[in-house]
Amino acid sequence: MTARAKPSSRARASVKADARDRLRRVLFLVPYAVRHPGILAKDLARKCGVTEKELADDLDFLLGVGCPPFAPDDFLDLYVEGGRVHVALHQSFSRPPRFTESEAAALAAAAQALGGAGTDRAIRALRECVPRDRRKSFDELVGRIYAGSPPAPGSVLDRLHRAIAERREVRLRYFTATRGAEGDRVVRPWTLAQRFGHWYLYGFDLARDRPLPFRLDRIRECTLCDARFEPPSEAELAGARLFSDAQGEPIRLRLSPLAAAWALSRPGLSLVERAKDGGAVVEVAGAGEEWATRFALSFGGDAEVVSPLAARRHFVEAVKRSVARY
Amino acid sequence: MQKAERLLDLAAFLLRASEPISWREIQEQFPDDYGGSEEAAIRKFERDKAELLDLGIPVRWEAGDEDRSAGYVIDRDEFYLPNLDLAPEDLALLYLAGSAALAQGSFPYARDLAHAMNKLSFAARPAGASETAALFTRRLSCGEEGERARPGDGGVGARLIEDLSAAIAAKKRVHMVYDGAERGARTVRDVDPYGLYQSGGAWFLVAFCHLRDDVRTFHLGRIAELEVNPAAPRTADFEVPAGFPLRELATREPWEYAVHAPLSCTVRLEPPVSPEARASFGRRARAREDGAAVVIEVEATHAEALMKHVLSLGDRAEILAPRSLREKARTVLAGLARRCS
Repeated sequence: MTARAKPSSRARASVKADARDRLRRVLFLVPYAVRHPGILAKDLARKCGVTEKELADDLDFLLGVGCPPFAPDDFLDLYVEGGRVHVALHQSFSRPPRFTESEAAALAAAAQALGGAGTDRAIRALRECVPRDRRKSFDELVGRIYAGSPPAPGSVLDRLHRAIAERREVRLRYFTATRGAEGDRVVRPWTLAQRFGHWYLYGFDLARDRPLPFRLDRIRECTLCDARFEPPSEAELAGARLFSDAQGEPIRLRLSPLAAAWALSRPGLSLVERAKDGGAVVEVAGAGEEWATRFALSFGGDAEVVSPLAARRHFVEAVKRSVARY
Repeated sequence: MQKAERLLDLAAFLLRASEPISWREIQEQFPDDYGGSEEAAIRKFERDKAELLDLGIPVRWEAGDEDRSAGYVIDRDEFYLPNLDLAPEDLALLYLAGSAALAQGSFPYARDLAHAMNKLSFAARPAGASETAALFTRRLSCGEEGERARPGDGGVGARLIEDLSAAIAAKKRVHMVYDGAERGARTVRDVDPYGLYQSGGAWFLVAFCHLRDDVRTFHLGRIAELEVNPAAPRTADFEVPAGFPLRELATREPWEYAVHAPLSCTVRLEPPVSPEARASFGRRARAREDGAAVVIEVEATHAEALMKHVLSLGDRAEILAPRSLREKARTVLAGLARRCS
C-alpha cells in the first residue's frame, strides 16, 4: 500500500526490510543446516521460503561473515556439494535466536483464535522464549491483536489437539446441517484448517469411507478412542480438498448501494455489474442455494438472489415462509 | 562493511567471547565501522545493538568487578532459543493455529509468524504428528491465491496489514484515505492505530481517529490508501490508554454497536436448532429451552442489525419482541415478497 509515500522512501524502506529479512533468515538457515547435515539445497530453500538462487546468494553472503581477528577459521563456512548443503564452521550459530516479541505475539494471537485449555500454557511458554528485555513489549503486543474467538468449547478443542498429536481416532457428536440432526461419527483426525472465517476438522470418516470436513462449531462432543491410525499417504494428501471444486452455475445476487459497499469487501465474491446508483450484481461460485438465501437475507431487504432459477426459487420460497411467520 | 554483515560479525564475536568485551576492543576489531568521532561511533553501535535486539539477540553491558573486566556480552542462555516445555497437545495447538493463520495470506505480523513457525521446529522436538498435520493445514487453509505468495507479500491486503502491524508495534501515526460504508463518503484522516481484530473472516483496525476525535473501527478492505509516519521510526507517536479493551470491541456483535438506548429483544429458534445458530447470538445472550425450541434474549443497542441476523437464519428464526422490531422484520420481508412476486 503506502501509495502516498514517495517512491524513493518506499524503495529505501523495502531495501532495509530485505536486509533485515535476510538477517533473520540466515540466523535460521545456518542452525537448520547444522541440524540437517547434507540437506538438499532445494529443501533448505523451501524451508526458508526463498528460491534456490536466493539461497545461493545467502550462502555467498554468509561466507563473508566471521568474527575478529578474521583468521580463516574465524569465518562461517557453508558449502554446496552435489546439490547438498554442508556446514564446516558455524561460528556459534548452532541454534536460532529467541523469538522476537512480534514473532511470539503473532503465534500467540493465532493460538488464542483457535483456543483450548492449552492456550494459556502455550502463551506462557512462548513468552519465556522471548528475550527478558522484550517480554513487556510481548505482553503489550498480544493485547493488540485479536484474531477471532475459539470456534468450539475448550473441551472439544483440547481433545482434538491431543488426538491429532497422538494420531488417535475420535468419536464426534456432530450436527449435520443438511439433515438438521445430530449423529455420531468416528473420524481419524488428520488436521484442522480454516477457510473464510470458519474452522474445520479434516479427517477420514470411517463409516463413509472417505475424508470429509467437519465444521468445529457443529461438533457438540468429542471423545478420544483407543485406536491409533497411520498418517495419510502422500496420495491422500495430494487429493485432499476442504471443499469440492465449485460445481454448477455461480449464484448471482442483486445488491442495493449500501449492501454492495459491505458485500464487496468480503472474500469470495466477484462483481458482475455495477449499477449507476452504486448498487451491484455480484456472483458467488460454488455456493449452495441455502447459503445464498441466508446471505441475501442478512442484508435485511437490501439484497436478493436473482439467478440461476433454482436458487431464485429457493430464495423466494424462503421469503414467503418467513413472511408467514409474522 | 555492509551493515548486515557487521551485525552478524558482532554477534559472532560476542557469542564466542568468554569475557565481556570492552568498547575499546570492539572499536579495535571493527576499525572501519566504529571509526570517526567517538560520539558518532557510539551512536552507531547503540543503533546496531537495538537492531540486534530486534532480531532476538540481546547485547548487554556488564559492569566489571575484581575478577572480570567491564564490557559487552551476549549471554548464551539469553541468546539461544530454549526448548519449549510443552505437552504434545499444546504443541499441536501452536503448529495448527500458526499454520492456519499463515495460510490466510493476510495476518498481522505474517513475516514474523513465518519465522516463528520455522523456529518452532527447533524449540519443540520431536513434533512429529503435529508438524505433519500443520503442513496439511497450510495446504487446506489457503485458497489458490494464497499458495504462491510469501507471507506479507500476498497482494494489497497483505501489505496493508503488514504496514499496520508495524505501525502498531512502533506506535506510529497513520495517514489514510478511507471509504466509509454507511455514508458512502471518502475521507482523509490521521489515526493512531491501537490494534487489529478479525471478525467473520475480515480484519478491522481499531484506532484513535483525529478527524472524529474518538476511537473508531475501520474495515481494512475499505482503506484505499495508507502511509505510516516515516519520521523518527524508533520514537512512539502516541500511547495506547491503559486497559484499552480491544477484546471487548472485537467480540461485539453487530447489534451491540452503540446506535440507540439498550432494548431487550427476544428471538425464538424452532427445532432442529443447530449449535452454531444458537452460538451465533454471542456470549452475552441468554438462552432457554422451550421443548426442542430455544428462546434467546439479548440486549441490543442496534436492533436493526439483530433483525438482519435473525432474517439470515431463515424461517426457523423469529423475532418475538419488541413489537416494533417484529413489525420492522415483517415490513422488510413483505417488501421482498412483493418484489419477488
